[in-house]
Amino acid sequence: MNRLFRYGVFAAALALIVALVVPLAAQEVTPGEGGIIIEGNFGGDPATFNPLLASDTSSARVAGFMFPAWIGVNPETAVHEPGRPDALVTDWTISEDGLTYTFTLRDDWTWNDGTPMTSADIMYSWEAIASGVVETSLSYQVDLIDSVTAPDANTIVVTFKAAACTNLTEASYWSPVPAHVLPAFDELNDADFNLNPTVTGGVFNFGEFRAGEQVSLIANQTYGGASEGVLPTGYIYKVVPDQTVLIEQFIAGETNVVDGPAVARRTDLLADSNVQAYQFPGNSWDYLALNYADPANPQNATDDAGNPIDQGNHPIFGDVRVRRAIALGIDVESMIEGAVFGFGTRMPSTTIPASWAFDEDLAPIPFDTEAAAALLDEAGWIDDDNDPSTPRVAQGAMYAADGTPFQFTLYTNEGNSRRGAIGTIVQDQLRQLGIVVDFQAIDFNTLLDIMDAQTFDAFILGWRNGYPDDPDQTSLFTPSGDIVGGGNNNTSYNNPRVNELMEQARTLPGCDPAARAELYHEIQAIMQEDLPYVPLFDTEGMYAARTSVGGFSPFPSQLFWNVDRWTVASS
Amino acid sequence: MVKYTLRRLIQAIPTFFGITILSYLLMTAAPGGPVGALAFGPKVTPQQRERVAAQLGVNDPWPLQYARWLIGDDWMRFDKDGDGVANEPGDRLGILRGDFGRSFLQRRPVWDLIVERIPATLELGLASLIIGLVLGIPVGVLAAVRKGGWFDTSTRILAVVFNAIPVFWLGLILILLFGSILPNWLNQLNPTVFPSTSPILPMGGRCPTDLLSGCPPLHERLNFMILPTFVLATGFIAVYSRFMRASMLDVFSQDYMRTARSKGLSTGQVWFKHGARNALIPIATFLGPTITGLLSGAAITETIFSWPGLGRMAVGSVVSLDYPVVMAVVILSSVATIFGFILSDILYALIDPRIRFG
Repeated sequence: MNRLFRYGVFAAALALIVALVVPLAAQEVTPGEGGIIIEGNFGGDPATFNPLLASDTSSARVAGFMFPAWIGVNPETAVHEPGRPDALVTDWTISEDGLTYTFTLRDDWTWNDGTPMTSADIMYSWEAIASGVVETSLSYQVDLIDSVTAPDANTIVVTFKAAACTNLTEASYWSPVPAHVLPAFDELNDADFNLNPTVTGGVFNFGEFRAGEQVSLIANQTYGGASEGVLPTGYIYKVVPDQTVLIEQFIAGETNVVDGPAVARRTDLLADSNVQAYQFPGNSWDYLALNYADPANPQNATDDAGNPIDQGNHPIFGDVRVRRAIALGIDVESMIEGAVFGFGTRMPSTTIPASWAFDEDLAPIPFDTEAAAALLDEAGWIDDDNDPSTPRVAQGAMYAADGTPFQFTLYTNEGNSRRGAIGTIVQDQLRQLGIVVDFQAIDFNTLLDIMDAQTFDAFILGWRNGYPDDPDQTSLFTPSGDIVGGGNNNTSYNNPRVNELMEQARTLPGCDPAARAELYHEIQAIMQEDLPYVPLFDTEGMYAARTSVGGFSPFPSQLFWNVDRWTVASS
Repeated sequence: MVKYTLRRLIQAIPTFFGITILSYLLMTAAPGGPVGALAFGPKVTPQQRERVAAQLGVNDPWPLQYARWLIGDDWMRFDKDGDGVANEPGDRLGILRGDFGRSFLQRRPVWDLIVERIPATLELGLASLIIGLVLGIPVGVLAAVRKGGWFDTSTRILAVVFNAIPVFWLGLILILLFGSILPNWLNQLNPTVFPSTSPILPMGGRCPTDLLSGCPPLHERLNFMILPTFVLATGFIAVYSRFMRASMLDVFSQDYMRTARSKGLSTGQVWFKHGARNALIPIATFLGPTITGLLSGAAITETIFSWPGLGRMAVGSVVSLDYPVVMAVVILSSVATIFGFILSDILYALIDPRIRFG
């Protein structure tokens, strides 16, 4: 009986172990057999798979899978970090003067043809950028970098012309490329490699490209960044040029991942039990730009010798009280509801909420029409007939002749429904204050011409910050960017204190993020008062995957950081 | 006929150049330019934009840009190596020597982009044209024969509906219906018989989505063609049925039809041998341009159904001011149209005994 009992206990324990272990074992996925990730994408065909030439988001997305990261980023903090397992660089040192960065490379990573990855692969990247004949968006770096050398196969030394906290980010834009198979620089723009990269070293290898349809990639089991192998069988970038069809294909299971679904359909996705969705503070933000300077006589901020040039004043927006009144008169919360179905976050200033430099204590500008009306009265813009349907007129305004009606032209780019809605809401809300807005949605290239020429009153546009993002905005808000014909400080904003703080934050010795953040907090507070841009909101990001996708655990702006661990169960 | 054809071809040359000059002028006169789309960002400096503009040659006066596009720039000298001396020849041969240039955005030879997409465009266009002819012509004949009857009335209504429904709307509705609504409804109706909620027909694309299978032969992916072909064919069906009906009614009033009836021929012989054959002649006047016009693609249908055709590419290029691609599509369309009309005239003269080559 005793023996029988012992056997019984043993059998029960065995059954329990089997019951527990077998399902776990069944879940084990052999590298390369984890299924196919199919991402529906609205972005169109990648122009190239060569990371050196990639300047559009589609190309960057696909090339990013085929070439290894150079300087690693912690996906959780979005800050560069030595020793990241998925990056070629293991460590770096910075010279005391902040000019020279010495990077140490791994010595055990290889390209998929077995050739070791070395400093020569980085040198090729830099020399291509510096050659002046390669069509790369990084060509501006020749103005920032003094020299790049490779003392040995595992070391790269970059010497910048000036110490700046943005230097590491600048260097991080490069990508290792297989120098041993690439042609001379003057042949690189048209090289076969650009659309048929036979030698790669990222998490996936190139599969096939069907123009207008898809790009397929195959798991690379020699990828150095995945010590336990690459689980998914492959990845397909599927081109779906219609937003509605893109979502419907995803819901029907024809694709299994989507990045940034249309805001109008996000509620549906969140309610779908077959979908796992991740929302995060986005890096795309919209603003209302108001011209400080006289649009009838656009001038650079400084002459060639650096002396200031009189740029005149915008007849309406030259007075900061008017700018504040406009900011107070716009209900951004209702705008977020109307323009992005509530999937947006108000911005108190021009730093995105996802940034480490964002000042969480800075409250957004309130919606207060009474205060706005009082400010307009104070600034000499009077509602002389007590009829808000007719425009206010100037009566003792700073830069406008008496009797000038308060009306201005507001541009945005056509074909963008979000900005179209923002413009209509701004027009409607300002009408309540007695401000007549001639809102025009025009061709993007035409708008760029007007912005570059600085002949506008106001425009609505947006920026999409990079990843990882450095909060420096020198080119947007200091005189160095105030150049008629192409500078980005096209509102001609110039506040000496902001100029000083920007420079200080950009070049702070040691680049301590906390110390830099303090400086950026002050900048945000000043800019909320000066309002070169009326900050509106950033659109929340969203990643969505079918529940059949395992390993889906994104961070803000980092959907595929652990793609080597993803699996897709067959339906 | 050879003399006639040659004369028409020679006459087409100034037409062709006229089209290209006007197109180039209009394109470059459009506000903005391609540089903004290519070089826009907080880090982009005015100098960088200038460099991009110089690389693309879009800052030159439009006659010079046109000349470079037409005859190439290997006769010009450029400072390519940045040594300050313009001593390197250009590398473009020009359209007259078969060089369509290089796409600003895709950074590839334009001809490669076009060749990649022609099969898809022709596949969809020809299929829908054939469906349009096969359905439209008999419907038109029968509607004329049964003039005023229920068939005539219902097909006339259907033709108006097919003409009036926007293809983007019809396309989306069909995608939703066959991709989502119908499979879910069937599954709820009887989960045993219909266990899957997968789309009944693909929700877009030309070939199955797979890692390395390539695009299989047409007969293995007919399911991908059903919805886009139907959507594109609705227009053809409507046009051909109405045209054929009108043409048949016109023929019915001719003397030879009365003669045929009085000879005692059967109704079928009168309608189809004498009526339909003669009524088909006017179809030839626009069949030529229609067939060659298929090369231009169907932008909206191609976009809704993710069909990798020329029309979709053309629209994208116009929006982004990718001049070389826009001009290549213009050339293709204009040459196709010119040849289409010549073909149509020749066909007309061949099949209508009343017309002679002049």
